[in-house]
Order: sequence, then C-alpha cells, then structure tokens
Amino acid sequence: MSKTGAPAPPAMPSSKDDINGTWKYLEWGVERLMLSLNDGVDLKTYMSLYTTIHNFCTAQKAVGSQSSSNLNSSHRGAHLLGEELYHCLNEYLKRHLQGVHAEMVKHADEALLTFYIKEWKRYTTAGQYNNHLFKYLNRHWVKREMDEGKKDVYDIYTLHLVRWKEDMFGSTQNAVMDAVLRLVEKQRNGETIEQSKIKDVVNSFVSLGIDEADSTKSTLDVYRQYFEKPYLEATGKYYEIESKQFLADNSVVDYMKKAERRLDEEKERVPLYLLTEIMQPLMKTCESALIAEHAGLLRDEFQVLLDNDREDDMARMYKLLARIPDGLEPLRQRFEAHVRRAGLQAVEKVAEQGEGLDPKAYVDALLEIHAQYAALVQNAFTGESEFVRSLDNACREYVNRNKVCSKNSARSPELLAKHADNVLKRSTKATEEDDMEKMLNQVMTVFKYIEDKDVFQKFYSRTLAKRLVNGTSASGDAETSMISKLKDASGFEYTNKLQRMFQDIQTSKDLNAAYDEWVSQSVNKDDRKDGVDATYQILGTGFWPLQPSGTTFSPPPVIAKTYERFQSFYGNKHGGRKLTWLWHLCKGEIRANYIKMNKVPYTFQVSTYQMAILLLFNDSDTVSYDDMVSNTMLQKETLDPSIGIMLKAKVLTPSTTGPPASGTSYTLNHSFKNKKVKVNLNMAIKAEQKQEAEETHKTIEEDRKMLMQSAIVRIMKSRKQMKHNQLVSETIAQIRTRFSPKVADIKKCIDILLEKEYLERLDGDELGYLA
Amino acid sequence: MSTEAEQTVKLVSSDNVEIVTERKIAERSMLIKNMIEDLGAPGEEPIPIMNVSEAVLRKVLEWCTHHKNDPAPTQDDDADSRKKTTDIEDWDQKFMQVDQEMLFEIILAANYMDIKALLDVGCKTVANMIKGKSPEEIRKTFNIQNDFTPEEEDQIRRENEWAEDR
Repeated sequence: MSKTGAPAPPAMPSSKDDINGTWKYLEWGVERLMLSLNDGVDLKTYMSLYTTIHNFCTAQKAVGSQSSSNLNSSHRGAHLLGEELYHCLNEYLKRHLQGVHAEMVKHADEALLTFYIKEWKRYTTAGQYNNHLFKYLNRHWVKREMDEGKKDVYDIYTLHLVRWKEDMFGSTQNAVMDAVLRLVEKQRNGETIEQSKIKDVVNSFVSLGIDEADSTKSTLDVYRQYFEKPYLEATGKYYEIESKQFLADNSVVDYMKKAERRLDEEKERVPLYLLTEIMQPLMKTCESALIAEHAGLLRDEFQVLLDNDREDDMARMYKLLARIPDGLEPLRQRFEAHVRRAGLQAVEKVAEQGEGLDPKAYVDALLEIHAQYAALVQNAFTGESEFVRSLDNACREYVNRNKVCSKNSARSPELLAKHADNVLKRSTKATEEDDMEKMLNQVMTVFKYIEDKDVFQKFYSRTLAKRLVNGTSASGDAETSMISKLKDASGFEYTNKLQRMFQDIQTSKDLNAAYDEWVSQSVNKDDRKDGVDATYQILGTGFWPLQPSGTTFSPPPVIAKTYERFQSFYGNKHGGRKLTWLWHLCKGEIRANYIKMNKVPYTFQVSTYQMAILLLFNDSDTVSYDDMVSNTMLQKETLDPSIGIMLKAKVLTPSTTGPPASGTSYTLNHSFKNKKVKVNLNMAIKAEQKQEAEETHKTIEEDRKMLMQSAIVRIMKSRKQMKHNQLVSETIAQIRTRFSPKVADIKKCIDILLEKEYLERLDGDELGYLA
Repeated sequence: MSTEAEQTVKLVSSDNVEIVTERKIAERSMLIKNMIEDLGAPGEEPIPIMNVSEAVLRKVLEWCTHHKNDPAPTQDDDADSRKKTTDIEDWDQKFMQVDQEMLFEIILAANYMDIKALLDVGCKTVANMIKGKSPEEIRKTFNIQNDFTPEEEDQIRRENEWAEDR
C-alpha cells in the first residue's frame, strides 16, 4: 500500500487468454484508480485496461469451438468468459478493504467520522471508474449470470458496495453512528458542527441498502436500521432528559415556549442533513418526549391559563397538544366546564335582581360570556370545530339551566322574547339600522341555544301582536328581518303565524284605504258627520295569539254607528266572514273641549272602555258608578282599573275616597292641568300583564301535549307498528327542535292516544296504529 | 457546456490513423462516452481505439454521424424491438450492404465500442441472411464446412423436430 509513486506499469498481457498475465495488468490499473486517482489516468491506460478486459472475454473462441462436439452444453447458448476476472476483482477488494479497516480502527470519534467519509468517497469514486472499465464484463458475463438468477453476482459497482458493506460497514457502523450522534448532540447544545459530515454518512448508509432481489434497485433498509433507529432513540432520550430538567426549574408556560422552539429546530434540521423520510417518525419521537410525556402537567396548567385569560399561552398549548393523539379532548372538557361555570356565575350575578329581572341585563350576561369564549376559540384554538362544539355545549347548558330558570325552565326563552320586544319596540332614542341588526343577531345567538324554542315562539308572537296592533314597532324592516332570521334557524312552520300576522297588518292598510274611498263615494255628507274617524285592523283568527275580552261591553252609540258601517262594507267585500271586535285592544283619542284654561284643548289618549266612560260626561258633569256599569256593561275587573287611571290622572274627581264601588259618583275636573297637550290615559294594567304571562305558560303546556300527540300519531301512521321505547325515542328526536320533552310526558300522551283509540296495545310491548 | 456540441475528439485506429470527429458523434459509443465522463474531455490527446482498423472505424463513424441525434435507448424497449429481425430502417439496410467480412468487422467493433443500436442492426442483418434458408444454403452463404457426422446430424434433426415447417 505504498502511496508514493505508482509502480511502473507491467506490460499488457501478450496472450489474450492468459488469466495470470491479464489480472496482473488489471490489478496494477485498479490499484492506481483506488490509490492515486488524483494523479490522473491517461487515455491510453484507460483504453488499454478496457481492451484487456474485452480481449480476455472474447479471446477463447478456440476453446468454445473445441467443445462444440459436446452437444448438451450448447443448450444454454454460448459460454461467456469473465468469471475469473470477477473473482480476482472480488478478492482484490477484500484485501484492499482489510487494509482500510485496519487503518480505520486507529481513529475515534470525529476523526473516525472524517476517516470513514474520506475513505468512502475515495472507494466509491474508484468503484464508479471500475464499473466503466469492467463494462464489457457487466454487459456480458455479469448480465448472463444475473439473468440466470445467480444471487451473489452483482454489477461491478454494486460489487464494490457489497464488499464495503460486508468488510467495512458491519464492524464499524456502530462507532460511526456514535460519532454522528455525538455531533448532533453538540448541535442541540448550541455548538456549531460540520453538518455535511452527517449528510455524507446518511448518503453512505442509503447507498448500502442493496436490494437482494434486484441489485439495480436500492432500499432504505440499511439506513433505517443503522441510522434512523439509533437516531430516533438518541433524540427521544435527549429530550426526555432535557424536558425533565427544564421543568424542574421553570414554569410550564416557559416550558411550552421551549418545547415549541425545540420542535421547530428538529423540523428545520431534517432538510439540512437528513432524509425527508425521517420527518414523520422524528416528529413523533419528539412529540412523544416533549409533549405526550408532560401532557398531564400541561393540562393542569390549562385551568390557570383560562382563569387568567392567557390567550397566547393557551394558543401555544393548543398547538402543542394538537400534535399528539387524543391530546385535545381533555382540554375541551375543561374548557366546556369552565365556560359553563362562567356562564352560570354571570347569570347568578344578574339573578340578584329577583322577579323584576331586566331582560336586557339577563341577555347581555348570557351574550358576554359567549362572546368572550367564542373569541378565545377563534384566537387560541384556530376556530377548531370540536372546540366550537364544546362552546356550544357549555352555552346550551348555562342558557337553559341556570339560577334564573331554576324554578321555571321557560324563563330563558321568555326573557329573551321580552328582550327582543324591547329591541324592536319604538323607543325614545332612535336605533341605527346597523345597531338594530347587530342586536337582532345577538338575540339569534342566544336563540340558537334555547331548548324551549316553543316558549320563545309563544312569547314572541304575543309581543309581536302587540307591537303590530298598537303600531309600536320601531321599523317594519327590522320586524321582517327578525322573522326571516327565525325562519332560517327553525324553519317555515315555526314562523308561519308570525309571517301571517305581519301580512294581516299590511292588508289592513289597503283595506282602510279602500274603505275610505267607499265612504266618500257611497255615504252622504250628513251621515258621515255622525261617525268617528277610525282605522281598522282585520286579524285572522288562528294566526294571532289574541282572544276576545272576558268582559261584556256595550259600545257607545257613536262608535256603534261607525263600526256597523264598516261591517256592512266588509260584509259586501268578503261575504261569510264574521268579525269579532277585540274591544280591549282598541283605543282612541278624545278632545277635552270643556277645559278652558288652555288655548289648545287637551287630547286624551284612552282605551275604548275609557272612551265609553268619558262619553257619558257629555250629558252630565257628574256620573255615578252605577250609571257607568249600566251604560257600559263593563265588568268590575275591567271597569275599576279603567276609572282608577283617570282618577289618578285627576281627570275625574271621586265623591268619596276608597276603591271604586257602587254609590260613588264622579265629577269632571274642569281645572285639569298637564304639561303635555296629549295625555296618555291608556296604560296597561299590571295585574293583566302578569296574568297574561301565566296564561302563556299554561297554553304552552297544552300546546306541547298537542305537539307530542301529533308527532306520535304521525310516526305511528307511517310505521303502523312499533316498540314502545322506540316510539318514545323517535318522538323525542322529532320535537327536539322545539323543546326537550320529558319521557314521562310522552308516555302520558301515548296513554291518552290509547284511550282515544288512535293506538292499540299489541303483544310484546308493541304498539299498533288504528286508522 | 455550450461548446460541447462543437467539441471534436481525435480517434486513433489500430493501424495508427488519426480520425477527427465531433464529440457528439463519438459519444454514440458508450465506451468513449463513459471514458470522457470519467477522465474529462480529452482535447488534443488522441483516443486509441485499439481493436478497430481505420476502414472499419470510418464505417462505424459514418453510422454514428447519421444517428447522432437519435434518442438514447431506454432499457425496456430494446428487449422487445430486438426480436423483430426484419425491423431495420432503410438507411441502415443500405448501410449494411457491404461484404461479409466488413459486416462481421462492424459487428465486432460495435460490440467492443459498446454501440448497442449498431450491434443490433448488424445482428439483425445476419439474422435476415439466415432466415428461410436450409442448413445447406446457410453453410453456403457463410462458407461453413459441414463437420457433423451423419449420426450427429440425425440426432440434431430428431431433437429439433418440433421446430420444422410442416
């Protein structure tokens, strides 16, 4: 193995088939390529070596023809020469690598690495030259051997790799790998290293992955076993130790930053000197050591972060835990519980207001928590759908089961409907259109979580009816917008009645115009003077949540004349329709000409009932309670409060103090004074309001029974026969969008239907449908 | 690299005649291509083509010149096309209309210089010369002396009965 000056070339073999002479010459050439390639090889030498191989392989035609008498051997075609050359080269490579190996064991650590890479590069470069020089052997003898399925014959370059793998790699790869891992560890500790060395080792290990089945292909087997595996092991161990030490001295929040940085570093390292194939297992190893190992600790910290609104840190935790399997589910659970708690606490705070709870304060409390955590889901948890679901679950819980609805679960929808009413009602300060839309959307946000949507519907339709009848809507557009939002959320059926109510008001407007025209054309002037100016609203029975008043009432003659005229007009237009007058919802204005103190006479805004009472004073300044009763026919519950308001406003003066009663008489107060010219005496009576709410709740119970029964009948009609339990669960599924029915209630409904003989009991817990 | 197309190389035949040709043409020979790959462009240094005489080398280069722009053959398609002996393009057929000695010299040179397509054309030409001929005609064509004994001939005929035209 002298490296100084190559020995003088032996002569080209004189005889073509002389294996000793031929190999002697070739060995000299191969040795030159192996040891002193840098000195260069001249064309002549190159061509001589090639030609020598060619000549040897083609020389022995004479030998071939000698054996031509042997007919059996001619079956496999011509005999190809070259086997001796192949074996000579194989033996030469073995000897050569023995020398390299002996040299290599003298080195250690980084020096060993340097030596390995240097020798590998030199050896494989020479291998490529040899592969070309021995091309003739490759093309013929090697090809034939491989075609015939010989396993241990390779093309000349692969032969070089096979020899390296067996004579060098097997006994040195552990030492090489240790050196590589120490280098990587240095880099992880912040030192600068020569990355190209690792890349070279990777390439070398990959090259040695010779596919046993097909030597023209390579596999990653060698690389996987001798590089990837120890690399991953060392990585896992390194971060296991580091993370434990770091956590012992630092906070979890700091640790997360560190882990995040480490994961990024490892990821960046891959394209620098590793194979991309390692990315996935490497990340998995790092995630396991850096995250999964400490997942419990991280999750415990999550509550602290939630309590302190540490959005950035939560985002970091989310990103880390999202990387490991099942990492986020515990976070979602904690998040859900936390939001629910926050919602319940917020409600508890406003619940201190007791019975007179302001609907706005309540809805705002619900919304505030939702908005806060919806933002958190967006910002910290990337709006992930599972977290959105957790948020929805929590909101549904605290919206439907909080302190305010602890006694009556229908309180939430009731308060929401009232809040919606306040929003949509005309108020002193004008609402901008955008603000209105925003507030309506907020109502819808809460609406989405309401379970008893039927309760909301009831209250909403009542308040809508009032707004429409009294003309107190802030804007028709806003009303339509709200109805279409509800329709989008809960379907056509849910808003059908609301829409019809809205339509009735529109048609009534047209009707009034038509009526006015009819009056001006077909009623003569004198007759017209008798009546009062009036507008009418025709409301479809069944769509409106309105009932005729409980009290009897005899309208004053002047009003009677007016409405009778309208009735005849309407009767002509729509024969067969019956009009029922809802006196308790009617109202009017009366001018008080008797008060002379003001230049402009006062105008009283009054209910029809009050109007009937006041009109009695046209004939006399003093009217007795009994006369009022006999003239108006009003019942005491309605009459007394109607008088009461006028007493309080000092329009009338009573003869005695105390509640209105038979024997009292009332006198007009001629010296009535008020700052405003228009005085509103038509105020809703408190007792009525409360009663109304109670009634609404009662009708809800009734409606629910009907809803459940109709659902049961619908299901049974299509199925004909069904198990009891199955029917119950299907019924629940059908009406869940309206409210959450109780199983006991459904059972009751089934019993009612059995009694009414819509259904029958069959054998084995089955129920049958009776047409 | 832009000059690679115009680069020339100097080849030296076995009988010591220098022939200058385009590098691209010479590289139809895998031997020359690999060598240039390994040792770099030779420039003025002559490349000894030790086993090929001037006459044959000129003939081979004529073929290489004509085929200098052919796409490099892929490993898969040669296995198939090689079997179709009649499949020789017109120019190649004319090119191969030489005396038998030259034909065999070209084949040997193509084998030595590792010019696969030329080797194929040469072998196909020989195969076409054999096709459809009786053993006696083949012997005549190639001037082969029959050195089988009648017994041997009989045995061969029996063994190859399955292949006879009937």
